[in-house]
Amino acid sequence: MKRFLFALATLAALTSCKNEKQDEAATSGDSAGEVNVYTHRHYASDQQLFAQFEETTGIKVNVINASADELIQKMTIEGKQSPADVLITVDAGRLTRAKDQGLLQKVDSDILNNTVAAHLKDPGNEWFGLTKRARIIVYAPGRVDSTQLSTYEDLATEKWKDRILVRSSENIYNQSLLASLIVNNGEEAAKEWAEAMVENMARAPKGNDRDQVKAVVAGEGDLAIVNTYYIGNLLNSENPEEVKAGESVKVFFPNQEGRGTHINVSGAGVARYAPNKENAVKFIEFLVSKEAQEVFANSNYEYPVNEEVQPAPLLQSWGEFKEDRLNLSKLGENNKKAVLIFDEAGWK
Amino acid sequence: MKQAGSNNIFSYKYRLKRLRRDSNYWAILTLVLLAFIALPVISIGVKLFAGPGETWGHIVDNLLFDYLGNSLFLILACGTLVLLLGVSSAWLVARFEFPLRKQMEWLLILPLAIPGYIVAYAYAGIFDYGGSFQLLLESIGLEFIRIDMMNKYGLAFVLGISLFPYVYVSSRAFFMNQANSLLEASEMLGVGQVKTFFRLMLPMARPAIVAGLILVLMEVLNDYGAAKYYGVNTFTTGIFRSWFALEEPETAVYLSALLIVIVFTLILLEKFQRRNVQFNSNRSNSKSIDRIKPGRQKRSLIFLVVLIPVFLGFILPVGQLIYWATLTFDKVFNSSFLALSLQSFWIAFLTAFMTVVMAVTLIYFSKWSRMSFIKNVAKLGVLGYAIPGAVIAIGIMIPMISLDKWLISIFDKVLNLDIGLIITGSLVALIYAYVVRFLAVAYNPIESTSLKVSKTIPDSSRILGVGNIRTFFRIEFPLIRTGIASAFILVFIDVLKELPLTLILKPFHVNTLAVKAYEYASDEMVMEAAIPSLFIIITVMLPVIFLNRMLIK
Repeated sequence: MKRFLFALATLAALTSCKNEKQDEAATSGDSAGEVNVYTHRHYASDQQLFAQFEETTGIKVNVINASADELIQKMTIEGKQSPADVLITVDAGRLTRAKDQGLLQKVDSDILNNTVAAHLKDPGNEWFGLTKRARIIVYAPGRVDSTQLSTYEDLATEKWKDRILVRSSENIYNQSLLASLIVNNGEEAAKEWAEAMVENMARAPKGNDRDQVKAVVAGEGDLAIVNTYYIGNLLNSENPEEVKAGESVKVFFPNQEGRGTHINVSGAGVARYAPNKENAVKFIEFLVSKEAQEVFANSNYEYPVNEEVQPAPLLQSWGEFKEDRLNLSKLGENNKKAVLIFDEAGWK
Repeated sequence: MKQAGSNNIFSYKYRLKRLRRDSNYWAILTLVLLAFIALPVISIGVKLFAGPGETWGHIVDNLLFDYLGNSLFLILACGTLVLLLGVSSAWLVARFEFPLRKQMEWLLILPLAIPGYIVAYAYAGIFDYGGSFQLLLESIGLEFIRIDMMNKYGLAFVLGISLFPYVYVSSRAFFMNQANSLLEASEMLGVGQVKTFFRLMLPMARPAIVAGLILVLMEVLNDYGAAKYYGVNTFTTGIFRSWFALEEPETAVYLSALLIVIVFTLILLEKFQRRNVQFNSNRSNSKSIDRIKPGRQKRSLIFLVVLIPVFLGFILPVGQLIYWATLTFDKVFNSSFLALSLQSFWIAFLTAFMTVVMAVTLIYFSKWSRMSFIKNVAKLGVLGYAIPGAVIAIGIMIPMISLDKWLISIFDKVLNLDIGLIITGSLVALIYAYVVRFLAVAYNPIESTSLKVSKTIPDSSRILGVGNIRTFFRIEFPLIRTGIASAFILVFIDVLKELPLTLILKPFHVNTLAVKAYEYASDEMVMEAAIPSLFIIITVMLPVIFLNRMLIK
């Protein structure tokens, strides 16, 4: 019994000191100059950027890494006590969700308003895009002629039966793509599209975007729908076999004649109860600045949102493309609808 | 007549009197501890009355059949695979002498050191396009044949190959300890080897085999990481999906309840198959088995057959991980990774300590209570192991959030202070959940050693006026130390490997090796997942070997 009580006491001490630490982070921030960042991006280049920000401004960056779903749950649970200043996610859908749950706040920043194009940010200025990625078609040049390719809608036609590779509907990039089709073509058409796509799949959806590319190379299907930066990552992989896979496919930007290729952003917003709001705004402004955007562009093969910055040479070699200028907050608003349609269509 | 009535042992009054006589602190404390353990299941039960979320109908229409079908398929396919691998290797190891037999005995346990989701990552990599298998075929000039792992068949294989040691261990124990006299009799009557195995040993060993099998199936239903990676929809992935993607905890609760029903059906089936079977006599057969020494060719054949599960379950996946680790070492291995490992060990250590304390308290409190009813009820505490981690996590979140809200309102009223949610998402909730889930792991070894301690010593101590607690620390504790040590190690291992529960309940600034490996793999950086995976495997391997020594003794 003594032991038991002792253990309980230890546990209590342990958790209470943890809370103290949290409070410290929350309160001391104002004077010491801190910013607490909740981020879903875990790339080495981001760390480098945070260090750069610390150096130029003297504001200390405290980072917490987790998936966006977890971060949003966490912020909800923490409520007013949340130490979070900035939330960074890798898609617009989750940012909209965070906004809808009242986790973000409006930011008035000329820098952000001037740098980030209107369709890449929240209409209410609660979040801003940082980097863009396009959801494109990659194909095996021997088996597909680029003249056969045109739009996402076209992929649902008969001629692609058993030829398409795409990952599961669990994936947020697919959910956002379908959400964009819901907004552009209506719910009915989007559902028909998803059903026809299931018919055209070369195999049941599985694996990640990289796996789809490898499967195209191996001949399991003739084309795949993937995000642009995965091609860049494949070409620069430590694994020589992945490089080979990246080299053997060609990219195609769909819907160039019409509304443009579907894009998504990774983006950031200031937390509703941010203890260091000023620093948070400064931090996001820094992330869209020219110097930070250069780092984003060249490390993870994403397109910069700052138009003064050129994308990585690899992306430039694919040429410029027309992007769908649909406001990305629409993706979040239609996310749940998209999830339900996927289930109904049997898209695993 | 009147007198007889009042003495009637079935009368309400008499019972109450007995209850008053027999109840003591310990009985009440035992019940309190049990309520603590049962809380997650109770809270799920209560939450069911609140009705499902709005997408429940959608899930029933489109997904439930898939969840059910896949989970049942996994139970059948994995079950068959682990029986084939586990029983055959146990029989060969127990019955035959062959090269490296002693080494094989513990090598066959090592697949348990690798969590199922990590085996899944490794196999996906081996059979990937451009993976090791393709390179191997090409290097010997063969055409590449793609073996697709990322489906339910691959998942069944991966889980089976990493879980068969449960069946191996339980059936080997039977073959080695109980089977000897039976074998002698069978031999004397001139029954052949094959017939002896199928007609005599297999039916006799059934309770032991099924006990191992049940553990495997619980682990299969508990799995989240492997199913998620291979894109197979199971109940566990459904729970995560409805909680996080659809944001409906209510729906997750309904799926959890269904999953509990499946698990308890399995447990009942196991009890049912055991109902008349009480072969395993308590007469322990101290004489060890006489192994057959087959001819050279047969010996090598047996060696190869036993090598297959070791190769597939341990050597091959670990080899792949080591290869990946060499590619990504510089990128992953740094000071913050070491800090994370330490944190992971610390949490496992703390949990193991708490769980052992909980198990010891439960065992001894119920012992000290005078009611036999309490002693039987105390055994229910171990059912937590049957409940999948994701379900326990949900069952703990629900009461924790209400407790937090209650605390908030009190602090707000009394001190006018906003304290926020202090328990939910703290280490307390996580360790509480671990204790509930792994109590059985600590309970069984401690209980079995405590039964070996003669009652007379503590009894005489108490007669001499020493209290229960002092008697325990002075006399019983030193005697059950080995049981406590193995309980501690087993819980430590399980916590280190645990994924789904940790994913839901871990506090923010806390990370574990298992979660790190999962994060890498789900961020399309599966090669980077190799180093945290290897860290888990190495840490788990050492005590597994140590425990095997103890088991053999």
